[in-house]
Amino acid sequence: MRPVIVRTVLFQALALAVFAVSAEAQQPAAATGCQTCHASQQSATLATPARDFAVTDVHRERGFSCVDCHGGDPAASDKAAAKAPSTGFRGKPTGALIIAVCSRCHSDAALMRKYAPKQRVDQAAEYATSVHGQQLAKGDTKVATCVSCHGAHGVRPVGDAQSPVYPLNVAATCTKCHADPERMKGYQRAGAPLPTDQREKYEKSVHHKAMVDRNDLSAPTCNDCHGNHGAAPPGVDAIANVCGTCHTVFATKFALSTHSLIFDRGCVECHNNHDIAQPSDAMLGTGKEALCGTCHSEGDNGFKAAAAMRSGIDTLKASIRLSQEQIDGVENAGMDMADQALTLREAGNHLTRARTEMHAFDPKLVDAVVSEGMGLTAKVDAAAAAARNEVSYRRTGLAISLAFIVLVVVALQLKIRSLERSTSGSRL
Amino acid sequence: MTQQLLSWLDERLDLSALQHFVSEKSVPVHRHSVWYYMGGITLFLVGVQVFTGILLLLYYRPSAGEAYESVKFIVSQVEFGWLIRNVHSWSANLLIFMAFVHLFSTLFLRSYRKPRELTWVTGVLLLFVMMGFGFSGYLLPWNELAFFATKVGTGIAGAVPGIGHFLLRFLRGGDDVTGATLTRFYGIHVAVLPATMTAILGLHLLFIQRQGMSVPPSVERREKAGEKIPQIPFVPHYVLHDVMWWYVALAVLAALALFLPWELGKKADAFAAVPPGIRPEWYFLAMFQVLKLLPAHIVGLEGEMLGVLGFSLAALVLLVLPFLDRGAGEGRSSPLVTVAGVAALVYMVVFTIYGYLAA
Amino acid sequence: MVPTIRAGWRPAAVGTDMSAHDGPLGPGGTRPEEIKRRTFLDLLLGVGFVSTALSFAYPLWRYLIPPAVAEATTNSVVAGKATEFKNGSGTIVKFGSRPAIVVRTSEGEFRAFSAVCTHLDCTVQYKGDTSQLWCACHNGLYDLAGNNVSGPPPRPLQAFTVNLRGEPGQEDVVVTRA
Repeated sequence: MRPVIVRTVLFQALALAVFAVSAEAQQPAAATGCQTCHASQQSATLATPARDFAVTDVHRERGFSCVDCHGGDPAASDKAAAKAPSTGFRGKPTGALIIAVCSRCHSDAALMRKYAPKQRVDQAAEYATSVHGQQLAKGDTKVATCVSCHGAHGVRPVGDAQSPVYPLNVAATCTKCHADPERMKGYQRAGAPLPTDQREKYEKSVHHKAMVDRNDLSAPTCNDCHGNHGAAPPGVDAIANVCGTCHTVFATKFALSTHSLIFDRGCVECHNNHDIAQPSDAMLGTGKEALCGTCHSEGDNGFKAAAAMRSGIDTLKASIRLSQEQIDGVENAGMDMADQALTLREAGNHLTRARTEMHAFDPKLVDAVVSEGMGLTAKVDAAAAAARNEVSYRRTGLAISLAFIVLVVVALQLKIRSLERSTSGSRL
Repeated sequence: MTQQLLSWLDERLDLSALQHFVSEKSVPVHRHSVWYYMGGITLFLVGVQVFTGILLLLYYRPSAGEAYESVKFIVSQVEFGWLIRNVHSWSANLLIFMAFVHLFSTLFLRSYRKPRELTWVTGVLLLFVMMGFGFSGYLLPWNELAFFATKVGTGIAGAVPGIGHFLLRFLRGGDDVTGATLTRFYGIHVAVLPATMTAILGLHLLFIQRQGMSVPPSVERREKAGEKIPQIPFVPHYVLHDVMWWYVALAVLAALALFLPWELGKKADAFAAVPPGIRPEWYFLAMFQVLKLLPAHIVGLEGEMLGVLGFSLAALVLLVLPFLDRGAGEGRSSPLVTVAGVAALVYMVVFTIYGYLAA
Repeated sequence: MVPTIRAGWRPAAVGTDMSAHDGPLGPGGTRPEEIKRRTFLDLLLGVGFVSTALSFAYPLWRYLIPPAVAEATTNSVVAGKATEFKNGSGTIVKFGSRPAIVVRTSEGEFRAFSAVCTHLDCTVQYKGDTSQLWCACHNGLYDLAGNNVSGPPPRPLQAFTVNLRGEPGQEDVVVTRA
């Protein structure tokens, strides 16, 4: 790794030496001779960069122009004069030169402070540690460089929704290469060829859904787990840590459990890496869909533990549902069960916590939470029973009213008959 | 004490005409005179509705954001609120049922014949007003079933040719069923319809008091032949009998409120899917079922529109029946009316049951 | 059910003195047993009417008296007396059918939020040592402005308005949906 860092720094120094032009400007750059000539070219290869740069580019808006990266004489209208070696013209940078060109400014803290004070200045150093950087150092130019992800001529800030590195677009950008089997041929890791189905899998995942359906931009995409500029797959022993940056509680419990010593790939063993699905209770236990049976078999302690934890969670789930039905029934008869609804919600919270607790793979811990939850549902059931008693009490009260009403009806009947009898003088 | 009060009032207001009228008033007695009490029971139930309705008014809130919660509040927090609300809901249904009983009995007994045509007309108008009460009141709890039933019902109003779209917007307070519809229905239910009902009911009762009870044609023939039809005095015999029936109705209401409480259901959500098997209340069900069965187009015209037109025509015929069956006033028998009445009754019963089973 | 009377009966003509025959409710016979039976019947009727009237009047009376909680707590709830809330504390109260948390900062300022965590609906609690709102289920953290600052919650907590109402020294803390 160290020779690579040295080489990168050398390149930066070279770039600095070569481009004597000072890179200091503040207003959007005016159209240069380069742009005027190139934009009017027939060939797309020559014209497109100039056109893209003219439409929208974060560098142009800060006052940088073609010569700041490519060198040359912006004022000269003659091609030979504009691109004379004395102007420092470099043409189109490739390979490691791209890194040198970009990091000339972007790794210069004093310079970046004038334009984007909060922006980091260690991207090139990070890149050198990445798989892309290491491959590039070996001479592989197929790998991603700065412009592969950020673009060259129509560069947009990361926060711009149309930028290829905006969170919603990252997966598409990375898989431009990584989903191309032709391009990825020949690369391998740990003896196996690199997969090209990551995007397909990721788009089925709960993280992708969170980002796309619920607009949660904090949901992870490629760079959140693999790193930005220092992109590399996390080592197997680092997976739990990576997932644990967001899923802290699960990672802590898992780390204290026996499984953290046994699982080769940590969280990925049960939850997969790219196609992380919404977890369900079915994954736990000894049933057909359960994952515990992959390693555990009938009779061993793990099997028993899995069965115990699953049954605890199922019991609490069923109890909550029953209590809810009771509340609904009694509310309909006219009793106020708002307090019980709140208690039942607490019980629901316990169900959530039980599912978290299970990552310690210790049935005693799960049972503790489940028991507390069952205590709450028992309270709710008792209150519902009391409410039903109240309803019966009301029925009795109303039955008494009904009796009086019937009394009046009978008395009226008799009264009418007596009136008729006395008026006519004969029995009816 | 009552005597003292009466003489105090008599000194100031001269109640002699009233007292004479009351003491002279008598009601004929014959095989069919039990039907005389049907109108009184309906009137009693109207009284129950007004009374419980006013009580509900004290706690109800007519806005989309608060209506459902206020009804829930009444049912669960206000003491005996469950009783008032359930009596109101059940009495509404009982009232419309008794109104139909009263309608059919007066139809079969030809009570509408001369000189009682206006009593019939005001009565039919009252039936329409009661169904309007039922339709507008049903929405007020702002629950899921009511919301969608109103959507469907007002949608059907839109099928009336010509004025349909205007009518739909007028009823809904806009293009869709929203909080505006709720407020509008509330105004109709507690102000517009009660005022209308008071006026028409006042006329209806005035006519009855002025003209006395009608007797069926068979009894009238006996009277004309010289027979003396037995009578009972209005006060106290008939009144006590009326009151007895009212108490029976009260007992039925109490039992229903207690053993079959009205559900509140889920709060209305305009963006939720229509629950399957949505249908209106039973008194609209027979019509609704027919509209559902009509094909989309009949001889090039929209099926729904034809159905609505058909029912409107039937309502008009009902309204002007006394003028269509003028023969009844002259003693001529009108078997067609009996046949039509039986057919209508059979249709209503069969299609209401059908509507329930089809859901 | 229909009362039948001997044919020919007519109500007494106006002016006829029937007072000798009168009972409390109208004309009647004069035989002693008749009178006893009638009086007993009238008593029965009277008792029936009164008892039914009372059985209507009692629920009506109770209905008219405002209940303990004056209105449905959809939009506003009284969380308690201001003096019941200590500085640097958070208390869960019922708001409609969902929990709300009333926070009193160390400077004595009142704040209220929905206590329903925006991650998976667990109930949050006040964490005194860091002056934050914490969700025990998955370690979500919110600051005292309701903003989600750490862990899985994707959105801030819904904020409510707090007002103090009443006599100074005995104010009610009123939480209203903003």
